[in-house]
Amino acid sequence: MRMRNLVMLGLAVITVGACSSSATAAPAAGKAWNLTLIQGVAGDPFYVTMACGAQAEATKEGVKLNVTGGNKWDATVQKPVIDSVTAAKPDGVMVAPDDSKALLTPLKAMSDAGIKVTFVDTKLDDTSFAVSSISTDNLAGGTLAAKTLAQLINDKGTVLVVNVDPGISTTDARVKGFTDEMKNHPNVKVLDVQYTHDDPTAATTITTSILASNPDLAGVFATNVQNAEGVATGLKQASNTTVKTIAFDAGPKQIEDLNAGIVQGLIAQDPYGIGVAGVQQTVLALNHGTTTATIQTQLAAITKDNVNDPSVQKYLYKASCS
Amino acid sequence: MTALTPGRGQAMRLAIAGRFAPLAARWKAFSATRFGSIVARTLGTNGAWIFLLLVALMFVFNFLAPGKFWTEFNVRTMAENVSVLLVIAVGETFVMATGGIDLSVGYVLLFSGVTSAQAMNWGGHDPTNSGWDIVLLGLAVALGSGLGWGVLNGLVVAKAKVPALIATLGTLGMSWGLAEILSNGQDLRYLPSIIGDMGTGRVFDKIPFVVIVAILVAVVGGVTLNLTRFGRYTLAIGSNQEAARRAGINVDRHLIKVYAMSGMLAGFAGFMSLAIFTTTTISGHANDNLQAIAAVVIGGTSLVGGVATVVGTTIGVCIPMVLFSGFTILGYQSFWRDVAVGAVLILAVYADQLRRRRRERR
Amino acid sequence: MAEPLLQARGIVKHYGHVEALRGCDFDVYPNEIVALVGDNGAGKSTLIKILAGSEQADEGEISLEGQRIHVGSPFEAMRLGIETVYQDLALAPDLDGSANLYLGRELMQPGILGKLGFLDNRSMRAGARKAFGELGVDLQNAQSAVANLSGGQRQSVAVARSVAWASKVVFLDEPTAALGVIQTARVLETVKRIRDRGVAAVLISHNMRQVLEVADRIEVMRLGRRVARFDAKKATIEQLVSAMTGGIAEEGAA
Repeated sequence: MRMRNLVMLGLAVITVGACSSSATAAPAAGKAWNLTLIQGVAGDPFYVTMACGAQAEATKEGVKLNVTGGNKWDATVQKPVIDSVTAAKPDGVMVAPDDSKALLTPLKAMSDAGIKVTFVDTKLDDTSFAVSSISTDNLAGGTLAAKTLAQLINDKGTVLVVNVDPGISTTDARVKGFTDEMKNHPNVKVLDVQYTHDDPTAATTITTSILASNPDLAGVFATNVQNAEGVATGLKQASNTTVKTIAFDAGPKQIEDLNAGIVQGLIAQDPYGIGVAGVQQTVLALNHGTTTATIQTQLAAITKDNVNDPSVQKYLYKASCS
Repeated sequence: MTALTPGRGQAMRLAIAGRFAPLAARWKAFSATRFGSIVARTLGTNGAWIFLLLVALMFVFNFLAPGKFWTEFNVRTMAENVSVLLVIAVGETFVMATGGIDLSVGYVLLFSGVTSAQAMNWGGHDPTNSGWDIVLLGLAVALGSGLGWGVLNGLVVAKAKVPALIATLGTLGMSWGLAEILSNGQDLRYLPSIIGDMGTGRVFDKIPFVVIVAILVAVVGGVTLNLTRFGRYTLAIGSNQEAARRAGINVDRHLIKVYAMSGMLAGFAGFMSLAIFTTTTISGHANDNLQAIAAVVIGGTSLVGGVATVVGTTIGVCIPMVLFSGFTILGYQSFWRDVAVGAVLILAVYADQLRRRRRERR
Repeated sequence: MAEPLLQARGIVKHYGHVEALRGCDFDVYPNEIVALVGDNGAGKSTLIKILAGSEQADEGEISLEGQRIHVGSPFEAMRLGIETVYQDLALAPDLDGSANLYLGRELMQPGILGKLGFLDNRSMRAGARKAFGELGVDLQNAQSAVANLSGGQRQSVAVARSVAWASKVVFLDEPTAALGVIQTARVLETVKRIRDRGVAAVLISHNMRQVLEVADRIEVMRLGRRVARFDAKKATIEQLVSAMTGGIAEEGAA
């Protein structure tokens, strides 16, 4: 008796907060499935944009969507998130696992609990229990980067590839696509790949020292955001304005850099499209439709010339949906 | 206006006090018994109210998410997800009981996981089908690695007299850097399948092994702190280092032992992490040190040392996880979890301060 | 008179350019309470610290029962049967009275449990009750942290601890400074009981009345030297004050 009163009191306080934040979309047709998107890291423009796409698609299909994620790219942080989402028993989950192996157990448990699991952006080594795996065609992205950079440097000169760490499937694929494509450009010489451990300062040091040993450096390909920023700093330190830089991803900061001339080209993934496809595939699975095991989304090359085109706009990553 | 008149307010207070009076009397009688006095003392520090907070949180989340929060699955995974943290928090409790701090635990954990995994991969063999000998080798290397860092921390703090905050910040960087160098920044993904089985295994198909192991560590830690000379010296040093020295306690040697123990437990936690994640999670455990310190402080261990309970630490580990899980199940933005945990942390330290002030007024 | 139990000769101690002790002598005889008096800065506390091992003399000799000794640390002093009640109460405030009494000398469980490091708290509490009882200290809750006790009770714990372990000499540096009337009387009563048990007590106090009442003998220090010795039964407050302030030029004049 007494205990219940106490609990009710506590609840009264907390539910006030809870009600105001859970706006739900009215179901249009079919069953109002409950879906959850687990981001690779919360608050990152890439995943925010993915959530925007997922939310738009969810509203369209009349299903409910929750978005969550760890506040760091860290499998040890993401595991409790995955476990709690499983405990919340949604009908389907779109997840970007932070590690391809470490999270097998909790994601398998999620699937075993009867929840439909779709991988978005990243995936596990074992995809046997997933509805679908949707990701960027990173190889194509690397090819696109090579073509764009070759154009920017008029098809001749030495180029540098700044990668994160060896052994990461997505960035390795980008580098492979890049170097393979550059073989079709005989006047372009690709230097050995440099690794930065995702540290912008390392990218800066690498850039300045390569510039010293290769004064004819014409272009740099940075496989992710951190590297691109480090490279830009390095070029600035060397007062070099001739080297063209092309980088992966197109967050608000990168667009700013593009407009400011710090980078000359961006290869944008399509997180919005990944989010849309993720919801589509999951709902299809729930409605017993036919799903596609692997979906590779397209990329766009963004330069100063086309950044304002409406066709390119949808590829820009957003800090918030509206 | 809803303001109560003073008369009514007082009447209500009296009524409430009246309803609780029999309970209070029963508690008083209970705490006079031998067992009761132990319970009362355990809860006496910060324990009572943080335990109530934990129970209240569980009730609230169970009410808000019926059939979701308070399920076997969720309780089990919550316990599993705090097990690694609990092990390092037990070591941290001893360190903080001496008035020190160990910032290095999360990265010593990482380092030990890397050396352990490398030892098991020695010579380039795929250890997937290795037997217990290789597993025990891995465990020994993990414990040894942790112990090494712990002894280094202890020597730097006790002998070189470098403040613990700086000493362990230094070894944090060193262990992290060396873990990255040794692993080349890449996770080792091949481990004996026995280890993975330990990570997923459960007793009676219900209680995960890792949870049982963590509870064992906590029980041994609690008994050591409360009932042994080692624990008594730990608290005495934290309470008044000079007094301990004058009483003939070899303070330096004891401090080295305490830091060594914290390091070794971090090494053990590194091995547990290998079992749970079946890889070295080189980018993970980044905030484990701060989480462990938060748990210890929430649990009522004083920041200046001298007062500590492992029971409190255990509850202190659980509260953030309950908040984390509860908020996630309710579908809140992930950052609200951090806000809530931060607020609880401040409340805990504030409660400790109040207690001290009350004491000093005597 | 018998041989001195503890004897210090020609103790010199510098702190930088300050000469705290300049060839100080001091004697403690068996079964006596000797009071050490002197004005502030006369060097009383420095002398006690040197005899108790927490400071080292620059020059001079210390002997115990005729044997020359070296007191390199408080721990060595304790081994020799010399205990000290410090002015700044060397207690661990978060531990209870019994834990403080036995700090560094814990009683262990018999057998294997003791080997594993388990404490025999029950025996220690019983011992503490006895020790506190002798001092007439009533700790309502023996399990309460020392910090929760009143100043007088804390002092009693500190005194009880030294008394319980001393076999030769106990130094008490202003043991009644923070105490009320009744507790002061009890502490002084304990000091007498220490003597009756065959342990010498050295009492530092500013309270001349108290000194004359309790001590058997009085040694007076001034400017880092012993300047006078009195039989407490014959001395007067005027004589003591005169010695402390320089009315008597050299030792032995009285």
